[in-house]
Amino acid sequence: MANAFVAAFEILSFGAIIVLIVLGLGIIASMMGIFNFAQGEFVLLGAYITYLAYAKGLPIWAGMVAAPFVVGALGFVLEALIIRRFYAAPIVAMLGTYALGLIIRESVRGLIGGFYLTVPEPIGGSIDIGAMHISAWRFTIIVITALVMGGCYLLLARTSFGLRVRATLENPSLARASGISTPLIYGATFAFGAALAGLAGALIVPVFSLFADLGLRFLIQGFVAVMVGGVGSFIGPVAGAGLIGTLSAALPWVMAPVVADVLVFVLAIVFIKFRPQGLIAGKGV
Amino acid sequence: MLKSMGAVKQAIPAEIGGEAVGAMTEHASAKQAAPGRKVLPIVEGAVLVAALFAPLVLQDYLTVFATRVIILALFALSFDLVWGYAGIMSFGQALFFGSAGYGVALLARDLDITNIFLVLPAGTIIGLTFALLLGGFLLLGRHPSSVIFVSLGTLTGSYAADRLARGWYYLGGQNGIPSIAPMTVGSYEFSEGPPFYYLVLGLLVVVYLLCRFLVRSQFGLALAGLRENEQRIAFFGYKAQHLKAIIFAIGGAVAGLAGSLYAFHEGFVWPNMVGVVVSTQVVLYVLFGGSGTLIGAVIGAVIVEGVSFWLSDNYREVWPIILGVLLLLVILFRPLGLISFVLGERERVGSFGAKAKEKRDAAP
Repeated sequence: MANAFVAAFEILSFGAIIVLIVLGLGIIASMMGIFNFAQGEFVLLGAYITYLAYAKGLPIWAGMVAAPFVVGALGFVLEALIIRRFYAAPIVAMLGTYALGLIIRESVRGLIGGFYLTVPEPIGGSIDIGAMHISAWRFTIIVITALVMGGCYLLLARTSFGLRVRATLENPSLARASGISTPLIYGATFAFGAALAGLAGALIVPVFSLFADLGLRFLIQGFVAVMVGGVGSFIGPVAGAGLIGTLSAALPWVMAPVVADVLVFVLAIVFIKFRPQGLIAGKGV
Repeated sequence: MLKSMGAVKQAIPAEIGGEAVGAMTEHASAKQAAPGRKVLPIVEGAVLVAALFAPLVLQDYLTVFATRVIILALFALSFDLVWGYAGIMSFGQALFFGSAGYGVALLARDLDITNIFLVLPAGTIIGLTFALLLGGFLLLGRHPSSVIFVSLGTLTGSYAADRLARGWYYLGGQNGIPSIAPMTVGSYEFSEGPPFYYLVLGLLVVVYLLCRFLVRSQFGLALAGLRENEQRIAFFGYKAQHLKAIIFAIGGAVAGLAGSLYAFHEGFVWPNMVGVVVSTQVVLYVLFGGSGTLIGAVIGAVIVEGVSFWLSDNYREVWPIILGVLLLLVILFRPLGLISFVLGERERVGSFGAKAKEKRDAAP
């Protein structure tokens, strides 16, 4: 019983981490049609900023709060300078963002070297429920993920900004004709997606520690999750992320981890092949 | 991209427009011939001459390095066929490269087969088989697959193979398979050095010429059409998916050949060889050199590897950043790669099926 509960918690917390990472990726892919290969590096940057705050003696919380804003600002600048040129050609966008990611990743690698740097958990210790102990920080991640997810949904579904974003997604020229500044909306959406990645990086760095390939580890999982969930809506990628995260955390409990690892990807690709529109089809929120 | 589309549209009617138009373009091209028309053979010849004489002037350890570069150029050729000519973004080309490498390494380790006439075909067939399986699955089917799906599918395939190789004890896990016996012909062993270099160069030239024939044939014309406008090619009655699967499989076979050479040259294989790192490396080569020209892929591999070899001694940490910046600049401002500095648009697109035209001329 206790074991099953711990397993369930592990699965849930890993699922939450994947959802957190995929949120930004999914918003950029769905709202802008760009598969952002630099997203993993935005995660890495968020993690690096948190580490920097910790290394400078600031409270870790400060770094975690700063990370999404800094990464978001960087995303806004990058969109205006570079990403904007790629909208017409999705494949070129992939290559361009890959190059961007390479630059960011190698810069961070130059700064931290080939080390694994640890950042302590801002909320340490464990929560005890009877005889079971669960990590307090992982629990916090689950809570924050739920909050962020709800916040994003409300932002896209209930605010006028969200309406503009969706209008720009559905019909850019009509949106422009209606007086919506589509370049600004694209910039803001990209910055928002980048900020989410920065937040994800900041939150997961105590769990995974900081190393240069941190982002790369999640990037492909993230892409697969977005495809499985379905591009074009907000909820699709989130559902896909939940599924992929749960599967990749749950399968190693029942079979050899190597097989499980590969099986998740194979299953996902087969699923996408036969249901290209994803779990949840259609546009909107 | 857009520019090249225009050029192809001009080139296609010239070919299918029959003799009158064909004769006209021949006149026109004869007039143009002066500076613009014949750059490609010059570049190809220069590269070949440079490659032929390289081992004579290079020190031994540089010849070993040059051999590796030539193998990687062969690998780059395979990606260029798939992306530059058919417009299939294969982000997992290393899957075929690496699986062939692992395949021949296992042959050498477990069955003691190192005969060159067995291992190289075996590697090629392994690459071909994997490419047929993956390409068949990703590309064929009732609904045409989206570009994004194919690129992410190949990327995922390569990533999954990497994880599998890392975790599978039989394949050596993280360490890969070390100390592979050298390739043999009879009792002669190919070790690193000039003989290996010339063997690889010879194979590269053969494959290059085959590819050149292929992309300039009617099949190549169909591929170019596919790359520029898939729907239109489908309306013409071509089975676009089949064409894609065929070129994908050919690309896989070339990658397999390169992978088996690489395994024997380096003497070991390791999981990165099937993984995302090498897959993206080959994308870099081709983008730098110029996709859609075979020689561009070769030049790109030589430049990227050469400069990184040269810089990595002194600027090991900065080099990948420079590479990223250069790549970004190339994508933004020179989407056709470095070769486009010397190669005109018209020549890059070229003409197709010259032999077929002669036949048409001969027949009344």
